Amino acid sequence: MISLLVLFFTAVIALFAGLFKKRQWLQPLALTGTGAALGFALLDINLPSAFNERYASMLQFDTFALAFTVVALLATALIFGLSRWGFRELSDTLGDNYALFLFSLCGALCMFSFTNMVMLFLGIEILSIPLYVLAGSRRDDLRSNEAALKYFLMGAFATGILLFGIALVYGSTASFDMHRIHAVITANGHSPQMLSAGILLILIGLCFKVSAVPFHMWAPDVYTGSPTMITAFMATVVKTAGFAAFYRLFSTAFAGAGEFWEIAVAMVAGLTLVLANTTAIFQVNFKRMMAYSSISHAGYLLLAILAAGQPGAGGALLYYALVYSVATVCAFACFLLVSEQNLDETFAAFNGLSKKQPLIAATMAVAMLTLAGIPPTAGFFGKYFLFAVAFERYPWLVILAVINAAISIYYYFKVIIAMYFSAEENAYEVKIPWSIRLSLAAGLILIALLTLIPSSVYNLI
Amino acid sequence: MSILLLILPFIAAIALLATRHLPARPIALTATLANLVVTILALSTFNGDGSFNYEVSFPWVSSAGISFRLGLDGISMLMVLLTNLLAPLIVLSSFNRQYNLENRYFGLVLLMIGALNGVFMALDGLLFYVFYELALIPIYFICAIWGGANRIQITLKFFIYTFVGSLFMLVALLAVYLKTPAVALENGLPEIAHSFAWEDLVAVQLDPATAWWVMLGFFLAFAVKMPIFPFHTWQPDTYVSAPTGGTMLLSGIMLKMGVYGVVRWMVPLAPEAMQGWAPVFLGLAVTGIVYASLIAFKQSDLKRLIAYSSIAHVGLIAAGVLSWNKAGMQGGMIQMLNHGINVVGLFFVVDLLERRIGSRSLFDMGGIARSAPKFATLFMLVLLGSIAVPLTNGFAGEFLLLNGVWNYNATLGALAGPTIILGAVYMLRAYGLAMFGETTRHTSEFADIGLREWIVLGALAGFVLVFGFFPQLILNLTDGSVNKILGAVQF
Repeated sequence: MISLLVLFFTAVIALFAGLFKKRQWLQPLALTGTGAALGFALLDINLPSAFNERYASMLQFDTFALAFTVVALLATALIFGLSRWGFRELSDTLGDNYALFLFSLCGALCMFSFTNMVMLFLGIEILSIPLYVLAGSRRDDLRSNEAALKYFLMGAFATGILLFGIALVYGSTASFDMHRIHAVITANGHSPQMLSAGILLILIGLCFKVSAVPFHMWAPDVYTGSPTMITAFMATVVKTAGFAAFYRLFSTAFAGAGEFWEIAVAMVAGLTLVLANTTAIFQVNFKRMMAYSSISHAGYLLLAILAAGQPGAGGALLYYALVYSVATVCAFACFLLVSEQNLDETFAAFNGLSKKQPLIAATMAVAMLTLAGIPPTAGFFGKYFLFAVAFERYPWLVILAVINAAISIYYYFKVIIAMYFSAEENAYEVKIPWSIRLSLAAGLILIALLTLIPSSVYNLI
Repeated sequence: MSILLLILPFIAAIALLATRHLPARPIALTATLANLVVTILALSTFNGDGSFNYEVSFPWVSSAGISFRLGLDGISMLMVLLTNLLAPLIVLSSFNRQYNLENRYFGLVLLMIGALNGVFMALDGLLFYVFYELALIPIYFICAIWGGANRIQITLKFFIYTFVGSLFMLVALLAVYLKTPAVALENGLPEIAHSFAWEDLVAVQLDPATAWWVMLGFFLAFAVKMPIFPFHTWQPDTYVSAPTGGTMLLSGIMLKMGVYGVVRWMVPLAPEAMQGWAPVFLGLAVTGIVYASLIAFKQSDLKRLIAYSSIAHVGLIAAGVLSWNKAGMQGGMIQMLNHGINVVGLFFVVDLLERRIGSRSLFDMGGIARSAPKFATLFMLVLLGSIAVPLTNGFAGEFLLLNGVWNYNATLGALAGPTIILGAVYMLRAYGLAMFGETTRHTSEFADIGLREWIVLGALAGFVLVFGFFPQLILNLTDGSVNKILGAVQF
């Protein structure tokens, strides 16, 4: 809870700092704010304090919520490390940008900790509305405008469906409270048809948010059009928040509501894996490839939703979300450096990078290997944990996921091939700002730690 | 001891990969020689009764039953010996070429050697899988950076091919793992953990249907790696396009990972399905032997010829091991070591010829024996070993292997037997074309081998003779473990 407050006040201060044109304060301020919030969250995991009780039966910062808070804050901190470079062409809106990032993060925290479906809805809205603005923050760029409009329309549509679902569930169980809903369902005091319809609508709304097929249409355009910093935030924090909320809701409120929704989720997961991976193969634009890659990772993460409530499922989701977020931020950071040097967003921008920038190339290679899930990177353990929790009940889905993991090598390795084996050299030599170096180093260290001691994260919940 | 075998090459590899100006060659050679010394020390106090020597075990992800557990029984010891015996020679033979970015090259070779040692020592299913895949990454980079024509497409095909195979193995491992008895963890966590420990996985009784799938999953991984017909299509191209050091690593050591995997993991974990699958596997292996031998006949590129002959030899090893009797198994053991020695020797010869002549085609060669007698002698020795002439190292192994296959099924044995003659014919034909006859304009000024080349080839020829005269050395090493594993796994 303290983390949430710290973030909120940091955001407000950032707004004012922007107003008074204190540009050089903004990055340190945002980093300090997220760092402090991160510190409080970590402290709370180890020493549960009175601040984590339920607030008006709306929020509860239990271990699950705190663990995901740490994931989101880590990803955001890494992204803020890049921001001096990533935001450098922004002039008068810099303060707003930081504030919007932080407000959006507050929404994510609500989505981790809600115990009431109203709070879930509010969290999603708090998360999304700043993002609609951020996606369009390059006002003179046509694609940025397109991204903002598309994201807004699709987002509004999805929230509408979600809200309808929540209403139906309320109609069936007469409560917004997760634990109450669960109690009513187990006591058979609800109307089952209305509940089923409600759950399915909620499912669709959440699938929109996590960009699972067939509700993924918006993602490639929005990811490509948005400024790279925002894309990195969407691919990591937003996805993590979506899945955490998804898991929290389905492992608590709808546990025991019958298995009819599992078939739907299994179908969605299968479709997501196959479609995203086969489409990603044909991409030439790196950001678009990452968009499809992010969709495909939603497919893997859905395996954890299918196993919701089983021992190890929450840990698997948490571990995967953390590894995926760190690797994705690292990949986007390298891309940010390379693409803006070459004014090129295709794979060709990476040609010969290993000779000019061996460190950037090595980081990118580690990020790609991690995303592809190749042992011994942490990405492999992430995939393994997910496969292990889902295998007993959905062996066919795990085999499908395994085949898709193999397909994904093809497009992730395109980047590695361009960097290491290409005869051409496109990459410029740049002086890398120290803040980016620090971000990349932190990312690499995190990946290495997650590889060496996976249990530290996996055992948390 | 077992930890040391991992740590030495890994530390050297990281040092070389992270820096640009360290002297790569001395470091690589020292690290591999140090590993050889450790291996010999390990051999000197080795207990060959089939138990695991030098066992170490640390919890890794205890809530998921994964531990970092290494140990060496006779079979593992033999493979570790193979790896570390060949490693200094592979490093030394790379000195003859000038690679750009040498630090990276030797760093990757060392990383590969560390991973191979890990594969052969791992006693935890997931750890085995991790090392098995880890070995793939450096060899991919070695082949794709320093390889020949079309290297990028060829190596990507190689990588995806082997990776897909291994993923099926992961699923198979997972299926067995979930069948191990769940234990509640002592530290009060609510989770219940299964176990990846080798003994626990072996103890699982699978129902026939599951066992059928599990064995298929393992087989796909190992068949691609060895490779067994029809999963071999990546192999000739990859061998030809890879730099010599890479080819040696692939053919000398890496493909033994497949055979080792069959012996250590595939059959012990799913013996219930062996009855049904063994005829299929053996049939494929024998088909591969005949098929590859026939193709090898038609090759004029010496490297490609050896690549196909390697498919035939490994096919025979696989057939012998899969027949799962004493003769076949012991033959497989002895031949894994000897095939490694011979094939590395042959690829070294190819590299030597290519450097001097600028071509690998047999038709560009001829008359070399006249100007390079030392080379001709050593080449002959290695070649004799490879075609299994009595008193060379290939003989005892191939004899036992054929014996094992014959005991399993006489028809298969009769089919596989003549390929030894075929092998002798195509290898001797290649030798004749290269070394005798008229000199061509390429070979008229062929220089005999220098000191460094003499050391490598001389050492390999020495092994050919030593293990040819005393095959008992190897048989004694693996005897206890083979008996134990044959006794424990019956079907």
